[in-house]
Amino acid sequence: MGLGKTVKQFFDDRYDTKLAGELISKQAFKRLPPHTGWLHVLGSLSLLLFISQTITGIMLLIYYRPTPEAAHKSIQFITAEVQFGWLYRQIHAWGASIMILAVILHMTRTYFMGAYKKPRELTWVTGVILFILTITFGFTGYLLPWNQIAFWATTVGTESANKVPVIGDWLQYFLRGGDAVTGETLSRFFVVHVIILPWALTGVIVVHLFLMRMSNLATLERVGEEAPLKPEHGIPFFPVHVAKEGVVVMMMLAVLVTLSVVSPWEIGEPANALETPPHIKPEWYFLPSYQLLKYFEGPYGALMGIIGCSVPFVLLLLWPFLDRGKERHPKKRPIAVVFGLFGLLGAMFLGYLGHISETDQSFFGKRYHITLKGWPEPIDDSTDAAPPTH
Amino acid sequence: MPSNMNKPPSRRGFLDWIVALGTMITTVAVSIPGLMYLWPAAKGGGDENVEVEGASKMATGQGKTIQVGSQAVVVVRHRSGFKAFSAVCTHLGCLVKWDQSAKAFLCPCHAAIFDENGKVVSGPPPAPLPEFVVKEIGDKIFVSAT
Repeated sequence: MGLGKTVKQFFDDRYDTKLAGELISKQAFKRLPPHTGWLHVLGSLSLLLFISQTITGIMLLIYYRPTPEAAHKSIQFITAEVQFGWLYRQIHAWGASIMILAVILHMTRTYFMGAYKKPRELTWVTGVILFILTITFGFTGYLLPWNQIAFWATTVGTESANKVPVIGDWLQYFLRGGDAVTGETLSRFFVVHVIILPWALTGVIVVHLFLMRMSNLATLERVGEEAPLKPEHGIPFFPVHVAKEGVVVMMMLAVLVTLSVVSPWEIGEPANALETPPHIKPEWYFLPSYQLLKYFEGPYGALMGIIGCSVPFVLLLLWPFLDRGKERHPKKRPIAVVFGLFGLLGAMFLGYLGHISETDQSFFGKRYHITLKGWPEPIDDSTDAAPPTH
Repeated sequence: MPSNMNKPPSRRGFLDWIVALGTMITTVAVSIPGLMYLWPAAKGGGDENVEVEGASKMATGQGKTIQVGSQAVVVVRHRSGFKAFSAVCTHLGCLVKWDQSAKAFLCPCHAAIFDENGKVVSGPPPAPLPEFVVKEIGDKIFVSAT
């Protein structure tokens, strides 16, 4: 008897392998709705990026030291001394941004195709929770290199916490592990980033996938009128959809490696608690909130800003229970589509304003200084001959 | 009044109640030390007097950033003596810098300006810079929060 048969016999003698085989085969060859296409790969892409982040994160952990004295030096060591250390660090840094982008695109597809509607409301809610966990991953991981930008972006980010009514001061003190961003903050963010968030994300992913498999992918038919999928009409998950996912994984790897080589992330100057660098800005996914906060001023401005930044997330969580129309096809949901486009374009516009604020820009041959709030003020070139910054 | 209100509790119901209460008490008893453990162990300080190194060599109008406890503090020498303010901008926590020529504290993050007394001149900060206590003992200068 060959080794394979011996192993099979070992398991057959002890477990109900026939039942396990049937369960796996049912999931592997499950039929997906006929309209399932390339856009339906975005969820798997997010998952694969999480796996990539986990693997590269574990590799970085071997050399990383989470203390103020050693963190920045250990990142330098990984980049300069460890073989292929630069590559894993770059893939991890770029992977974080691309994972957030993939999650946003996946949610956008789900929103416009009405796939969050009954019976898939909880699949959507767990998806929004995954989105929040993913950007929290970004926020906590950003501090770990302990460079100037990371240190001060975290100082500004955690400063906002004390504007929360009643518990604000406690919350900020708890998050930082003290009055200011110190080694205590680094330890806390490190533990959250490498222990708590990975397990929380894994748990919610399992629930999300379970719910998604239970109710299958949504069709574009009206709620309650989805016809049972006939086997001859559907697309088999394996091999057809899995092949598409394989193509996307290869492309993702190519993009990650290319970006790592062509546009590497800088290590930056080590954190200095006694000097704030000019014009610190957060990562692109926090730019809309960063810009929005600037429009709320006065004694209650920060509080109103926090409420303003929380509203989109609360709306996202509650959306399947607010939009209870039966239609799924985007052409038959004009209000929801316009609302979604408004939200998406609004966030992009705010993010762009945040990106160009407090810089000089050229538009149609004229130079402008973009103020803190994003208003363009013409620059008189006759008195100021400095070149424009982009 | 519903009829079941008059019924004496069953043995099963009583045991369920005891188990639920026991689980609740255990959860609270286990959680409290856990939450206390997570609460930051040390306060940031700031109560101690910190000497301003080289204060006697500072020219009038010159400023210097020092650390008092976990707080960054800007000490400025005026004609009338030394003054110290928290360097932490009351908007979003960036550190202000003393601009000797403008006689003002400037925040590099959102272009806020505070005057030499720490009051907001322009920009988004909602409050002035908190002032620190300066003590002159002989030719030495000490700064503390209280």
